[in-house]
Amino acid sequence: MTRPLEGIRILDFTHVLAGPFATRVLGDMGADVIKVNSVDRAIGANDPGHPYYLMWNRNKRALALDMSKQESRPVCRQLCEKADVVIDNFSVGVLERWGIGYDAVRVANPEVIYVQMSGMGEGGPWSDFVTYAPTIHALSGLTHLTGVPGREDIGIGFSYNDHQAGLHGAVAILAALEARQRTGRGQRVDLSQFEVGVNFAGPALLDYFANARAARPMGNKLPYDEVAPHGCYPCAGALSDAVEDERWVAIACMTDCQWEALKVLMARPEWAMDSVFDTASSRVENLQRLDQGVAEWTVTQDSTEVMEKCQKAGVPAGIVQNAIDLVERDPQLKRSGFLHAIDSPHPTVGATYADRLPIRFQATPCDVYARSREIGEDNTAILQDWLEMSADEIQKAEESGILT
Amino acid sequence: MTDSKGALAGVHILDLTDERGIYGAKLLADLGADVVRPEPLDGDPLRKRGPHQAGTPEGTTSLWHAFFASNRRFFAVDPSSDEGSEQLRRLVERADIVLACDRSFGVDAADLNAAQTRRPELIVVDTTSFGRDGPWSEYLAPDLVAGALGGFCATTGDVDTPPLKGFGELNFMVSGAYIAIAALGALYHVRQTKVGQRVEVSVHECIASCLEQVFMCYWYDDLLPTTIPGLPRRGSLHWSNGYAVMQAQGGAIMVTPTPDLETQLLWLVQEDAHEDLLDEKYADPENLVETVQRVMEVLRKWVSTREVEELFFEAQSRHSPYGWVLPIEKVAENPQLKARDWWVSYSMGGVETTGPGAPYRFSETPWSLGPYGGPGADGESILADIGWEGAP
Repeated sequence: MTRPLEGIRILDFTHVLAGPFATRVLGDMGADVIKVNSVDRAIGANDPGHPYYLMWNRNKRALALDMSKQESRPVCRQLCEKADVVIDNFSVGVLERWGIGYDAVRVANPEVIYVQMSGMGEGGPWSDFVTYAPTIHALSGLTHLTGVPGREDIGIGFSYNDHQAGLHGAVAILAALEARQRTGRGQRVDLSQFEVGVNFAGPALLDYFANARAARPMGNKLPYDEVAPHGCYPCAGALSDAVEDERWVAIACMTDCQWEALKVLMARPEWAMDSVFDTASSRVENLQRLDQGVAEWTVTQDSTEVMEKCQKAGVPAGIVQNAIDLVERDPQLKRSGFLHAIDSPHPTVGATYADRLPIRFQATPCDVYARSREIGEDNTAILQDWLEMSADEIQKAEESGILT
Repeated sequence: MTDSKGALAGVHILDLTDERGIYGAKLLADLGADVVRPEPLDGDPLRKRGPHQAGTPEGTTSLWHAFFASNRRFFAVDPSSDEGSEQLRRLVERADIVLACDRSFGVDAADLNAAQTRRPELIVVDTTSFGRDGPWSEYLAPDLVAGALGGFCATTGDVDTPPLKGFGELNFMVSGAYIAIAALGALYHVRQTKVGQRVEVSVHECIASCLEQVFMCYWYDDLLPTTIPGLPRRGSLHWSNGYAVMQAQGGAIMVTPTPDLETQLLWLVQEDAHEDLLDEKYADPENLVETVQRVMEVLRKWVSTREVEELFFEAQSRHSPYGWVLPIEKVAENPQLKARDWWVSYSMGGVETTGPGAPYRFSETPWSLGPYGGPGADGESILADIGWEGAP
């Protein structure tokens, strides 16, 4: 059985996280992703032995091509002309300077799809700005909005927007492939990681423009809906006073019925029977007292037991899981084999690991997880498969020093 | 919409999603697919989600719904009636793709298993919170709970706050993006083989797959200089210790000495703010952890003396990826978004409001936004599409 994207050829000039995550998803789905790297560029997150590289570059083949050498560019141009998709997340204009921009390549390959995942998109006064995910989080409002009242220095604790830019890049590529199926022609996609990030505050931005209300950080409260309790509450069982050893449970009573069920679980404490907690709106008005009361109950309980009791009673609740919980204890992830070691050891790192594609195609399962590759590890196979180069031609290219 | 010029023009989708999948249906609808969203006769419960347009009664113009249910055709139906269930089945017959979430409106009546038997080319994207089986498979998980179990909350917050969720529906926007990928991946396969399939998406796995350092620090802690496997929430301080939000004059700014420590050091020297950073010990790669920590200390002190806007633009002019922490009203006025003509007009019941535009720009098949309709607004055209005799 083949994977759904078998036969699609992707030439991948991306680096760090956002772009490699887009092509990782497509590689997991069977596309032939050729990761272009070079010895000179293999530093930091571009070093094949760096954990960051190991995480985002499985299921790709590796081609070493030193694009700083003019002699490399004809080979690269030929690869672009054979590709279904060319993707990069450089600053705007890099591929054009190398002579492999969309306008240059589409003459020979009108079906090609180019996706440029720059930080700010093409054009505009900020188009040359340098961004990483924390930059985008800050500029897009995500940092300001993710926190507690009065704090604008918290934000999301990981590079959310990098992952999302990657996922949106994958959506864009697949949509462009569908359009090509219909029209016979490729196109260029300009993806601004900043615009992806701003998009996530969609309802808050509509509220600002329609009602002149500017959203502010709300902690774990829902910003616009009267729902309470709705928060993370401390539990018993901390192994130490360190933050990483704390245990918490999230509880979200989305309806009055769920609140009534939670009251029963808490053995109907006197405070909870006060009529001010009878409706969602009055619970929100008295949130501090409500949260304090719920926390007084949870702090005496084991987090897993609270979750299980709540869920059994129809109250949405879940442990705040950290990495150790997810890897070592989570029964759902264990059951699905979500986290696993990759079969073939990495030549320099040894054992490497993968989280599965969270999409299960029943007819075309995506169960192949090939380790990330060393620089140029697949030079010969790629040049044979894509360009039908002979062994002599490949030997000459290697001797010329471009395949490094 | 039906007259789309978008990338997915001509693709018919039935949207039976709830909060967990509605963003995926939005992505596909905004790319030009014809997406029909059935709703109860008294309206989609998600139309009650705030914020609402001021001056309109709750349930009529939800800005939340207008954003997430953009570019849909709305169809009011009673799945418990013979007529309604037959209408749903005919909508399935017409669809290339059905997006479903377990327990969501219309899924049972649509009889998707039978439809796939009749039409092998049909794609069904079946979303659950935790998968079809397992001890948590029946668990209820709104965005907060999904983010807690999925690993988002443990990373977010500070030592003096609880673990935090993101603002809005950030977890379900991840599952939504994966749902769109699942649908389009399966559609590509149909175009090659004419064979559809059922595709399962677990929201829990979606969230867990997008946690950057969380699994990396667990699996590869021996390869990383500064991390621990259970890295706790710690405000804005990045797992690498090299990015943090700092307080400047007039606002906060995300500051980092990456990607080139020497560039940052030169800037500090020019400002005479480098303190002891020229000490040889900080040039030794063996002392990287100590160096980064000291650089961040010096930066924090220096940043506190600088005006935020000026600092941000100067950093960017030096190719340092600083990020000014902007509140929503500043985002709304952003000159980059304005120059790229990013904002679009949302038409809601005859009222026009500015709102977010596309997350990507296609050169040949433009993204577009059609008017947003009320409950069941497109019933007449949808009944005509399915050949329903007695259509009003």
